[in-house]
Amino acid sequence: MMNSNKNTVSSLIPAGLQLREDYQIPVNSTLLATQYATDLIVNIAGKKPQIRRGKNNEYYIPLGEEEFLKTVLSLPEKGFVLISLFCVQDFEESPDFTLFYVFRLNGFTDVFAFMRCVRMETTSIATVFPSACWYEREVRDGFGIEFTDAFDKRRLFLHEAYPEGFHPLLKSFKNEKIQSVENPEEAYTFKQVEGEGVYQIPVGPVHAGIIEPGHFRFSAIGEHIFNLEIRLFYKHRGIEKLAEGKSPSACVPIAEVISGDETVANAVAFCTAVEKIAGIEIPTRASYLRAILLEMERIYSHMSDLSGMITDIGFPTMTTPFLIFRENIFRQNEFLTGSRFMRNAIDLGGVKKEISGEALSKLNLYLKIFVPQFESAITAVHASSSLIDRFSTTGILKKKLIAPLNLTGPIARAAGASYDVRLDHPYGIYKDIPPERSIKTAGDVLSRFEVKAEEILNSVTLIQKFIALIPKGAITAENTGFAILNIPNGYALSMVEAARGQNLHWVYVRNGLIDRYKVRTASFCNWQAIEHAVLGNIVPDFPLINKSLNLSYAGTDL
Amino acid sequence: MNASFLLFALLNTGFILLVSPFFMSLIKKVKASAQGRKGPRLLQSYFDLRKLLQKEVVYSPNSSGIMRITPYLNLAVLLLASLFVPIVFIPDAPAGIGNIIVFLYLLAIERFFMALCGLDAGSTFGGMGSSRLMSLSAVIEPTMVIAFAALAYVLRTMNFHEMFAITAGSTIPESPTLPLISISLFIIIIVETGRIPVDNPATHLELTMMNEAMILEQSGKNLALIELAHAVKQTILMAVLINILAPWGLATELTLAGFVVSCLYFLVKASLLAGIIGLFESSIAKMRLFRLPSFYMMAFFFSALTILMEVFA
Repeated sequence: MMNSNKNTVSSLIPAGLQLREDYQIPVNSTLLATQYATDLIVNIAGKKPQIRRGKNNEYYIPLGEEEFLKTVLSLPEKGFVLISLFCVQDFEESPDFTLFYVFRLNGFTDVFAFMRCVRMETTSIATVFPSACWYEREVRDGFGIEFTDAFDKRRLFLHEAYPEGFHPLLKSFKNEKIQSVENPEEAYTFKQVEGEGVYQIPVGPVHAGIIEPGHFRFSAIGEHIFNLEIRLFYKHRGIEKLAEGKSPSACVPIAEVISGDETVANAVAFCTAVEKIAGIEIPTRASYLRAILLEMERIYSHMSDLSGMITDIGFPTMTTPFLIFRENIFRQNEFLTGSRFMRNAIDLGGVKKEISGEALSKLNLYLKIFVPQFESAITAVHASSSLIDRFSTTGILKKKLIAPLNLTGPIARAAGASYDVRLDHPYGIYKDIPPERSIKTAGDVLSRFEVKAEEILNSVTLIQKFIALIPKGAITAENTGFAILNIPNGYALSMVEAARGQNLHWVYVRNGLIDRYKVRTASFCNWQAIEHAVLGNIVPDFPLINKSLNLSYAGTDL
Repeated sequence: MNASFLLFALLNTGFILLVSPFFMSLIKKVKASAQGRKGPRLLQSYFDLRKLLQKEVVYSPNSSGIMRITPYLNLAVLLLASLFVPIVFIPDAPAGIGNIIVFLYLLAIERFFMALCGLDAGSTFGGMGSSRLMSLSAVIEPTMVIAFAALAYVLRTMNFHEMFAITAGSTIPESPTLPLISISLFIIIIVETGRIPVDNPATHLELTMMNEAMILEQSGKNLALIELAHAVKQTILMAVLINILAPWGLATELTLAGFVVSCLYFLVKASLLAGIIGLFESSIAKMRLFRLPSFYMMAFFFSALTILMEVFA
C-alpha cells in the first residue's frame, strides 16, 4: 500500500524531485504544494479551491460540504496522513464552528488543513481515517458537536461523572463549580470478547509505583492477550481553555507544563507559532540554543526509556549506568538553564537566558566523556542474552498501522517509518544542520531500544555540531516586545519533533489575546499503538511493551 | 519424644526464626551493591516486620477464612518443615521427622494455601498470581521430586537427618555427584523463593508478578507473618543445600560448643550463599513466563544425570 501511495505522489512531482527513502526537500515547495492541492481538488471535486497560505508552511483549504466529503474520502489512497483534527468556534468571519482537518503528505514540507464549516451536527471520517476517532470524540466532548454516523460515540476526555451538556471549549462556557453526576446512567462500555476461557483483567486507573492514571482492560485467554482497550483522561486540566483570553507571553508557561519531559519541545512549538503570527524573526544564536536544549531534552527522555525498559524486565544492575547518565544530563541541564527539566528557558522571540560559551564548552567536554561510556553500556546490553531474549520479538508494531494511526517518533522509526519532523518539516536550525535518521524495521521492543540508543548518539553529534558552529549575537529578537504588543489577528500551525514524536500546536490570536490554542502531542496518537502492539503477547510482557512505547498520560490529557 | 529432640526443636526453630530475616536483607544489600547503590541496612527486614506487626489488618469484604488462617498456617507448616533440616545439631528424631517425602508435601501445602489465599480476596492480580504459580508448579514439583530422589539415591537414605549425619562426617562431599545435585538444589531455592529469573521480588508491576501478586491483599500482622514464613522457607532451603555440599561444622550431637560452632558456621556459609544468590539475581534478566519451564528443566537434568551416573558408576 505504501508503494502505491508513493507512485501516485511521485507522478505529480517533477522528475528530479522523485521521492526516495532519504528524499530531498522539494526545491520550490511553495509552488508545488499549492499546485498539487489545487490539481487534486479540481480532479476530485471539479471545483477550484481557495487555497490560503498560512504563516508557517501550512495551507488552509476551505471546502464546501460536498467537496469536502468527496475529497477527504479519497485522501487515504493518495497517501495523506491525518495529523490533527480540531474545532474552532467563531473562526474569523465563519459562523458557528470550523473543523480543521490537518494532513501531511510524504514529500511535502508543508501541511494541508482542510476547513469544514459545521453546525451542531456533522459526519464522521473515522472509517477512512481511523485516527479521526479520538479527535471526533474530543470535539464532541469539548464543543457538543455530534458526529451522527460515528461508530464510536463514547465520551473521551469528559468521563460520565461530568454532567450532560457540559462542553467546556464553547465560548459561552463559564468557569464555575459543576455538579458531578453521582451514578451516571450512561456507562462506558468496553468491547466484550466472548468465548470459552476468555476473561477480562481490569488494570488501573490507580497503579502501583509513581505513574499517572490510565485504565487498561485486557481480554485474555490464559496469559495471551486477545484484546486490549485503554481508557485515559483521568486528569483533565483544561489547558486549551486555560490559554484562551490570555496574552501570548502568559501562555509560554502553560505550554511548558503540558508534559513534563516535553517542556522545551512544547515551549518551542508554541513560541514558533506566535512568532510567525507576530512576524518575529528569531536571531540565529537563539535558534542554535533552542536546538541544543531540544536535543538535550531528547537525550534525557530517551535515557529514561532505556533504563525503564531494562528495569521492567527485572535487571536493575544493567539499568544503573543509564540512570547515572540521565542524572548527569539533568545536571548539565541545570547548569545550562537553571532547571533540570529546562523550565523557563524558552521565551517568545528567542531564549530567556544567555548560555555562555564557557557553559557550552563544558557541555561539550561532558559529551566527549559520555559517548564512550554510553557506547560501552549499550554493548553490555547487547551482550546479555537473557535481556535480548526478553526484548526481541516482544510487542511488535506493524508498519501498516503507522499511517492510519499517525504514529510518529522513535516508535514509528523502529517499525520502518522514516518520518521525523526535523527532516520532513524542518524548522529552526535543523533546516541547515539536519539530524541523521535512525530506522529499524522489526518494530519490536528491541528495535525501539536500539532506535532510542542511536538517537541519543545522533543528538550528541548534533549538539556538538551546534556548539562548534554557534555564532555570537543577540538571544532575543529586538522587536519582540513591540511585535507581541501589536500582534495582528492571525493563526499559525507549528510542529516540532519532541522525544516522543510529532507535537503539533495551532495558535489563533484575536485582538492581541489567544482565542484558541490547540495542542496535539505525539502521545495522543501513539497511545493507540499499544492496543495493537500487545496483541498475541502475554500479560506479564505488557509493562515492558508499555514502557518501550513511552506514552505520556499528561501530554494526551490536556 | 526425648528431651534432646525437644531441645533441638526449640533451638533449631528459634535459630531459624531469628536469622531468616537477616538473609533477606543481605541479599537485598548484595543486589544494591551490584547496582552501585547503598541498599538497606542489614537489620532492615527486622524493622519492617516490627512495623508491619504494629499495623492493623484490613480484610477485603469478599474474603473468607482462608485469608485469615493462611498466614498462621503457612508459618506453622514451614516451622514444622524446619525441624527436618537440622542446623544447630543433629538430634535423635522421632520417626517421620526428616523424611524427604513429608518435607516435599509440607512445601506443597504451603504453596497450595498461598494460591488459595491469592484467589480468596477476588482481586484482579491475586488470581493471576495463583494461576501462574499452579501452572508452573506442575513443572517444578516433579523436578523437586527427582532432585530429592537423586539425593536419596546417592546417600542411600530418605531422611535428611541421616543424610546430614553422613555428609557431616566428611570434609569433602561424600560423592562426586553431590555438586551436580547442588546445582538442582540452587535452582530450587531460586524458584521456591520467587527470585529473578523466575519472579522479581522488587517489582511494583502487578501484571508481571507471581508470588507478590498473591500477597497483594495481605496487610499488617498477616503480611508480617507471610514475609517471615517466606524468609524461613528460604533459610530452610539454603540449609538443605549447605548441609549437603558444605556440611563442615554441623554438630552430630548436643554439646554447647558444638551448638555454638554449628550456628556460627551456618551463619558464615549461609551469608556466602546469600551473597551468591544476590549476585546471581543481579547477573540476569527475568525470564519470559513461558520460558521458565526450561529453567526448571536444568534442575531436572542435573538430578536425572546424577541418578544415571550413580546407577552406572
